Amino acid sequence: MSRVHSLVTSAVMLAFITVVPATAVAQKSGGSLTVGLELDIPGFDPLKVGVFDTSASMAAALMFDTLTSLDEAGEAQPKLALTWSHSEDYKQWTFQLRPGVKFHDGSAFDAKAVKFNIDRQKDPANKCRCAFYISTIKAVEAPAELTVVFILSDPAQNFPKIVATATVNNVVQSPAAIAAKGADYNRNPVGTGPFILKSWNAGDRLVLERNPVYWQQGRPYLDRVVLRPLPDSQARFASLEAGESDIVWDDEFDSDNILKAKKNPALAVHQHTGSGAGVYAFNTKAAPFDDVRVRRALVMAIDRPKWSQVLTNGLSRPATNPYGEGSWVKCKDDGAFPFDLGKAQALIKDYGKPVKFKMLVTATPRGRAVGQVLQQFWKQAGAEMEIEQVDQTAIVTRAFARQFELTPWRIIDLADPDPQMYANFRSGSPLNLANYTNPELDALLDRARVTPDLDKRSEDYCAISRLINSEAIWFWSFQNTYYAIAKAKVKGLGKFHSGIIDVSPVWLE
Amino acid sequence: MLGFFATRLGYLVPVLIAVTLLTFLIASLLPGDLALVMLGDQATPETVRALRHDIGLDQPLWWRYLSWLGGILTGDFGRSFRTGEPVLAAILARLPVSLELMLLAELTALMIAIPLAIRCARTSGGSFDRIVTGIAFAKLSIPNFMAAMLLIYVFAIQLRWLPATGYLPFGEDPLGNVRAMVLPALTLALAEWPVLMRVLRSDMIATLQEDYIAMARAKGLKQRRILFVHALKPSSLTLITVAGLNIGRLIGGAVIVESVFALPGIGRLLIGAIYTRDFMILQGVVLFVAAGFVLVNFLVDLIYAVLDPRIRHVR
Repeated sequence: MSRVHSLVTSAVMLAFITVVPATAVAQKSGGSLTVGLELDIPGFDPLKVGVFDTSASMAAALMFDTLTSLDEAGEAQPKLALTWSHSEDYKQWTFQLRPGVKFHDGSAFDAKAVKFNIDRQKDPANKCRCAFYISTIKAVEAPAELTVVFILSDPAQNFPKIVATATVNNVVQSPAAIAAKGADYNRNPVGTGPFILKSWNAGDRLVLERNPVYWQQGRPYLDRVVLRPLPDSQARFASLEAGESDIVWDDEFDSDNILKAKKNPALAVHQHTGSGAGVYAFNTKAAPFDDVRVRRALVMAIDRPKWSQVLTNGLSRPATNPYGEGSWVKCKDDGAFPFDLGKAQALIKDYGKPVKFKMLVTATPRGRAVGQVLQQFWKQAGAEMEIEQVDQTAIVTRAFARQFELTPWRIIDLADPDPQMYANFRSGSPLNLANYTNPELDALLDRARVTPDLDKRSEDYCAISRLINSEAIWFWSFQNTYYAIAKAKVKGLGKFHSGIIDVSPVWLE
Repeated sequence: MLGFFATRLGYLVPVLIAVTLLTFLIASLLPGDLALVMLGDQATPETVRALRHDIGLDQPLWWRYLSWLGGILTGDFGRSFRTGEPVLAAILARLPVSLELMLLAELTALMIAIPLAIRCARTSGGSFDRIVTGIAFAKLSIPNFMAAMLLIYVFAIQLRWLPATGYLPFGEDPLGNVRAMVLPALTLALAEWPVLMRVLRSDMIATLQEDYIAMARAKGLKQRRILFVHALKPSSLTLITVAGLNIGRLIGGAVIVESVFALPGIGRLLIGAIYTRDFMILQGVVLFVAAGFVLVNFLVDLIYAVLDPRIRHVR
């Protein structure tokens, strides 16, 4: 009894300890934050850059706003839009916009500005590569000053979540500034966001200052954010250790530094497991992968924990389905085969012929390492894999042309699994890399995208995962996980949705 | 003298044409089509064909070369395929950083190399000479990135005397600019001084055995005067050649050093261009660097002639 009692007290005390500081220590305003990014940012004009990489999106999240934002649980919350509603078939979404918001150049934000941005990206005359990502947006209408309507070609239940990410398509840029600055706009972007671009040296730091008239009262807390491209991971970590950066982007291939930082009390490692994963596709029309026994054998022969240990000191988190821990799709049973070398060997023996094939890997040290580990696993199972090193871009071409036996691919973080699952597995899709057709799979994919009930959808996507895993047409390596290493005084960092480290809510202790 | 100048200048033209041709060919033959890089996951055969047409990649190679060359002659280096930024502007914006880095590195290397070489030559075979030559040899075998990481670890992380990364324009913050440049310049200089030192040392040893040095000694001239005035000038011809040729190595080193120390110079621009297959930037930078290299060596030839009048008459 006394033991139970003390457990209860300590639980209460624990709750007390964890809750109290959070409320007692108010967010402090002021201060400057220096952020180490991975890459140089080429600019922000969608027509010029086509797509924002992670570094550009991190900067965009500071200077621009999106219609919605994602909270800790990954649910859409109001940002530039206050409320939203949808048509019954989820093909039309209407957003009511926040009144009184101004761009940094003083011009007013309204429905026309949203329409202008999307129309400009979709205009065939502009030949914007960014148009690809919004091909399912048929039109945008602005029926009232603060009402904007998106008309979609496919049903999108999670549209408000999809427009939350600071991508090239979603951030709202100032129509007036785009018109006024012309070719110079790319490096002089104007948004409604919490920070205003102050200066930008070529190939070097972007200095952003607090937007004094930001629509959210009292925000942002920081006076200034400096973004520095630091492409070398050692240099990026050194800049943190030397006190020149307050927070740096990192990934699990830099595991030595992440593990070092975890031991350092002055530093904090922030990590976020998103949705999506690193994946591999078998070409099921090419021997020996036209036989399901071979595919299953190879998948069973993979010891993911060991793979992770070799590549990233165990930081990489094994994936058993394409959705990942960060996704709202939760599967009790995703149908993944457990590691079983004996069964794999038996299947290969049963197949009877020698299993020899080539796997594409990117011609980078990482690509080679990943391939060599698989090579060893499969050798033990009795299969002979030859590594074919190709340029990153060649993988895309070869994949589209189906000129491969086994190719790496990636499922990126998106708020909804539908766009990628539909493209990757619906028969006849150009991205159906496995060349695999199954009416049952098609029916599940068709139903999942229009089912309103989230639990039922989740169950459909789990059934899809079970089918893919059982047929072993694709397999998954590791979940998409994102890292940032920060000084301990950096507080208020949210989740890294889609791998974007948004430092706009940060305050310094 | 003028004739000599003109002949040397005449050599420059074919060299630069060869450089542009090679640059263009290498850039064009690199694996990885620019259109594919730009399109990424949307690289269907149709979109690739359309983009290749838009940026002129479907034109024959010779035609693309000639129009690029024609543009350069009129001062138009083209525009980045990715961002539309004029290539010349991109290079000029980053050039001061690289020039400052290389100049400081070369000066530092000379400041280390010359006194050591003179001292070693004077006492050649002695213990000082042996130790310094040994250190020089050891230093030659440490690659730039390694030296950079060691310097960062000691001076930036442990001692916190100097910044590990970054760059501040001289106009904004002169002291910050110099502080940021110390470690990168030192990294490059550490790789350069052994070569310079060894060259000058051996020339100096030879010079010190000349009759006129014995004559100067016999006259009772001061040691310092003999070394720095009578011996240094005639011994420094090879040094200057090597220093000129070293520009090539320095540029190569700068590419690495700029990445490690996050300096926004043309080395970083070049690496970025290679990763993104931005051929216009790539070609522009390589041409610029090559032209700079050729010009520096042209200047070295001129300095030669100034230092040693015999060269002017021979040619």
